[in-house]
Amino acid sequence: MAEATEVLTPDSPEAAAAAFGEGGDVTIIGGGTIMVPLVTHGVVQPNKALILADAGLEGVDQSGTTVTIGAMTSVSALSELDAPLGPCAANLGDSEVRDQATVGGNLCAVAPPEHPTGDLQGAFVALGASVRSTGAGGERIEPVADFLADRDNRLVLDVTYEQPQAGAFESLDRPHTHHPTPLAVSGARLADGSIQLAATGAAPTAVRLPSAEAEASDPDAAGTAALGDVRLVDDAVSSAWYRERILPVLVRRVLEQLG
Amino acid sequence: MKAVGARLPRYDGVGHVTGQTTYVDDFRVHGMLWAKALRSPVHHAAITKLDTSRAEAVPGVHAVVTHTDVPQLEYGHLSGLGIPADEPLLAKDEVRYMGQPIALVAAEDLEAATAGVAAIEIEYEERPTLWDVREAFDSDAAVVHRWGNWYPHFEDEMDRRQIRKGDIQKAFEDADHIIQGVYRPAAIEHVPMETQVSMVVPESDGRLTIHSCTQAMYFSLGVISAHLQVPLNKLKIVGGTVGGGFGGKVDTASETITALAAMKAGRPVKWRWTREEEFLASSTRAPWHMEIIDAVTSDGWILGRKMLTLHDSGAYARFSPYGLTKHSFHHTGAYTIPHLHFDGYVVFTNRVPTTAMRGFGVTSVSFAVETHMSRIVDELGLDPYEFRLKNANRIHDTSPNRISYTDPSTVDVLQSIAGATGHDLAPAYAAATREPREGEWLPDHLVDQISTEGH
Amino acid sequence: MNITVNGDELEVRSPGLTSLLRVLRDELDVVGPKAGCEAGGCGACTVLVDGAPRRSCLTAVAAIDGAEVTTVEGLGAADDLSPVQQAFVHYYAAQCGFCTPGMVVAATHYLDSGGSDDRKEIQEALRGHVCRCTGYVKIIEAVAAARGGNFDLTTTAEGGYTTVMTGDAK
Repeated sequence: MAEATEVLTPDSPEAAAAAFGEGGDVTIIGGGTIMVPLVTHGVVQPNKALILADAGLEGVDQSGTTVTIGAMTSVSALSELDAPLGPCAANLGDSEVRDQATVGGNLCAVAPPEHPTGDLQGAFVALGASVRSTGAGGERIEPVADFLADRDNRLVLDVTYEQPQAGAFESLDRPHTHHPTPLAVSGARLADGSIQLAATGAAPTAVRLPSAEAEASDPDAAGTAALGDVRLVDDAVSSAWYRERILPVLVRRVLEQLG
Repeated sequence: MKAVGARLPRYDGVGHVTGQTTYVDDFRVHGMLWAKALRSPVHHAAITKLDTSRAEAVPGVHAVVTHTDVPQLEYGHLSGLGIPADEPLLAKDEVRYMGQPIALVAAEDLEAATAGVAAIEIEYEERPTLWDVREAFDSDAAVVHRWGNWYPHFEDEMDRRQIRKGDIQKAFEDADHIIQGVYRPAAIEHVPMETQVSMVVPESDGRLTIHSCTQAMYFSLGVISAHLQVPLNKLKIVGGTVGGGFGGKVDTASETITALAAMKAGRPVKWRWTREEEFLASSTRAPWHMEIIDAVTSDGWILGRKMLTLHDSGAYARFSPYGLTKHSFHHTGAYTIPHLHFDGYVVFTNRVPTTAMRGFGVTSVSFAVETHMSRIVDELGLDPYEFRLKNANRIHDTSPNRISYTDPSTVDVLQSIAGATGHDLAPAYAAATREPREGEWLPDHLVDQISTEGH
Repeated sequence: MNITVNGDELEVRSPGLTSLLRVLRDELDVVGPKAGCEAGGCGACTVLVDGAPRRSCLTAVAAIDGAEVTTVEGLGAADDLSPVQQAFVHYYAAQCGFCTPGMVVAATHYLDSGGSDDRKEIQEALRGHVCRCTGYVKIIEAVAAARGGNFDLTTTAEGGYTTVMTGDAK
């Protein structure tokens, strides 16, 4: 299988960036939870693969109020962090998948329109996190929402955010641990006092909920307003009909927790 | 009788927990090829072109089998019961469900087999589809089966399973209430942990050794023998270790086609379905459409039942006529109803063919009947236990197909549930037994249905 | 590449992106781990990689070059069952047995890292493992029993047994 694939296993972040180059023809294997089955079943047939297991890109660094998370940090390593990121991470998959899945992989999760995925993305959007990545044109640091909109041929190096004053995370239960969360809402009261909200499962990638944020002082109104910020779809884990009824509830609960 | 009441360890338990139990996919033999199927990507179409010559030239490919290689293309699982065949082993000039197998490629490894499948030249001319059993009878419905949209070969060439018992018209005339309900359980995939898999080894003495995950070895033996026109004494099936079946491994799903490829290649061949194929193409429990109309008295006797059942068989008949027959025999549930009018149809659609699952045809009707019993209780304000106890089967009551019950347990089960849930029964109901009806338990409308014959 | 499987150091010749599951089953002939879905969804292929439970179908073999791999075969033999294996037999936690290799590996790790006999904690530990036969009840009972050492393969003549689980959702 995949005889022709050139497999690279860089042993430092620099070596990883050099091996990745401008991307394009390189398939990145982080934890493997997304890519390895695609390779096994022949959906993806890489010419060149970059295995990051030994690239030294993992670790959570908390200096002062700034939190920096390496791309190869496992999801389980985040589960003790404050809301929204900690409970969001603890809600993903099951313990074995959390041990194996990585932050970088989650930010790059391929999401065809009918299948929202990338459970951590909402928490990072709500936190106003920024992504540092490399690829064509060299290193780039940008808000996570911008990265999600243009992430082809990028190698994620790390994610950074400022510790919020408060955070909250609310989710629908998953019907099965293997599925992405059908619908989840993350919220944060940032250092400057502003409130940011984001949803996963409400569009192909995580989305900010600006209309709900504008009504943040009235959780019920905010919940209704949130429906204007999303593009709900039917998929295997939930109908759009159900999501439409649940989103306002989750938004309200998150805002009540943020106080 | 040392085993009765004793706590016996599973004979296969130690093998399971140590990883030593050998499932079909765990067998390895020298020179084994891997197989991959070409499956229909569309729900309903004519096949206008099928050319495997390029696939046969793919490096590593040893055999490509299609309908032209099958000695007897159609053979019915229930031929022994007089149910005619309708399903080809490999699709010939049409496909009727997405995932239907058209060809199997056996090659040195899965990659070569997959490349072989991709190299098969095939063209389809798509046809209209039918999904809703209720639309099957419309004059403008898509026609999905050469027999028409419903199975026409019940006894005496009737196109439905029909039960008539007693005088249904009188039951409805005598009723105080007429209570209707429609019940539509969905299809269910069995999801065994082990997907469909078989490995076939052509032996030097001309026999085939067939490793299969089947739940029904002797079924498979007959099906393989008929399709391949190989006498039974040339077939040796190794089975008995099934990684979950639940009815979904009663159909002979993979071993016949694997055997065909092994014979053509002259090499051992293994065909293991992916989980995606299992969801797409393995048979499911059927979706059902059931309409019940009951004639009921104010004091809680069910005098008569009219029922219409549409059984979604999917694209081919398989076991569905048998499943519907069982369904019809049980359409009064655990209760005795003297006047019956039942019509059931096996309807063809463009779904994957449906099959047995844990009760086969009876589970669906039990769901409908018990839900309908609760509906009657709610609408008439009856006690749910007493209503059921009143109508419960007793010794010498007769079933819809006029079998006289010898030992029905309905009364005991209901009393046990009442006890376990703390529901106080009135003294007469607490004292009820399964013994033949008499006195207050034998109202006039039930006298004629009692029989000691016919079991 | 080399990996050590159940104590034996073995050379791996499969391409680097081959899943550990396929390396174990198809190259090294270690067939205890099962291919239930090959997509990370069922847990039948779970093995220990350097002591931690991993879905072998999600693991590219090149990512674990040099690692120690333990499969269900490495946890105990028929004449020397581990506590979890004994409990799985005694409490009828294996029916068709296809999920059992992954269940036993995950349960062993759970107990070895100090897991309790609390039903909800056991459920959470085994959450990624699908079983279609047991309804999970007997598996959870077996893990709880293994925690307390409450198992006895020789008991054959007594009906019934006492559930040893704690927690509120019995």
